[in-house]
Amino acid sequence: MIRQSLLDAHDRAWDRLARPGTWWTGAERVAISAATRGALSCAYCARRKQELSAAMASGAHDGPHGGLNEGVVDLIHRLRTDADRFGPTLFARYVPGVLSAERYTELVGIVATITAIDTFDTIMGRPLRDLPEPAAGAPSRKRPKGAAYDQAFVPMVAPEAVDASDPDQAAMYEGRAGMYIHRALSLVPAEVVNFFDLDDQMYLPDRQLRDYGTEYRAITHAQIEFLAARMSALNRCTY
Amino acid sequence: MLLRGSGQHTGDEYSFTGIMDGESETGIPHGRLLTRFADAVHAGAFAAEREEVRAALGEEALADAAGVIAIFSAVVKVADGIGIPLEDFKAETSASFRAELGIEAFKRE
Repeated sequence: MIRQSLLDAHDRAWDRLARPGTWWTGAERVAISAATRGALSCAYCARRKQELSAAMASGAHDGPHGGLNEGVVDLIHRLRTDADRFGPTLFARYVPGVLSAERYTELVGIVATITAIDTFDTIMGRPLRDLPEPAAGAPSRKRPKGAAYDQAFVPMVAPEAVDASDPDQAAMYEGRAGMYIHRALSLVPAEVVNFFDLDDQMYLPDRQLRDYGTEYRAITHAQIEFLAARMSALNRCTY
Repeated sequence: MLLRGSGQHTGDEYSFTGIMDGESETGIPHGRLLTRFADAVHAGAFAAEREEVRAALGEEALADAAGVIAIFSAVVKVADGIGIPLEDFKAETSASFRAELGIEAFKRE
């Protein structure tokens, strides 16, 4: 049996994918989602994954592209299938030439959301959800004034730089320690809120992470942390 | 670090080597099965391991394990895609076992 709170979080995330974001329209967000899925069956991505250097390979990606330009599709496929080799050199191929840091950050949030939900459904043997119908409307295009370059590829908002009068900014670190993983998407505060709404249910909320005296899941803290660490190792993640 | 904290709370001692090599005994209950399950999902063929987890731990535990595996397949994309550094205090406290486990050798382009 799957926890209802987890399924509800997936429903909320799916609903948000279809809505206009901060820098992409609803239709573009759904197109990014479709391209993220398409990456897993892309023949070029499969070949590129085998190359000694991800920067050396060239080719054309299989669809769907959904009206996104080739550079954006290439980025989506790279993040979905080869993110462990992604570094500053590759980042500079895309930002700012292909897309802005703001659009890049929101895109990373969308790719991560689709990856989380589709991977869960696949593991559980559930059919993948139909992509949602895009909602009409324009992106809000609100950039947090407190965003500044720290040590990441894109600017981030430090907890002390949050503008509490902006609801998304005010919400993004609520109940969270403000670690770099929380700040990563903070150039687009709504994506922080979106992603960690999902993370709280699939992993654990911050306040429960160190509450070792209480088990909140059907597996223990130790088993949760072991799986988290093993997945990070398999994905060659240094964070 | 959280795994270490969990072990300190319960008085259990966990080996971190198994996290990296996927084979060494970790001391985590059902650790070997969970390793095989995570590895199989990562490799894309996991039906047998999923049934083993379901049989050994139950349906709710399977779903919770799947949730962790799935979200960490995504969290790593956020970390890698944005290029976030490790916090200084984490780097300091984990320096020895990160070096021992070879984590710093992961290549970025």
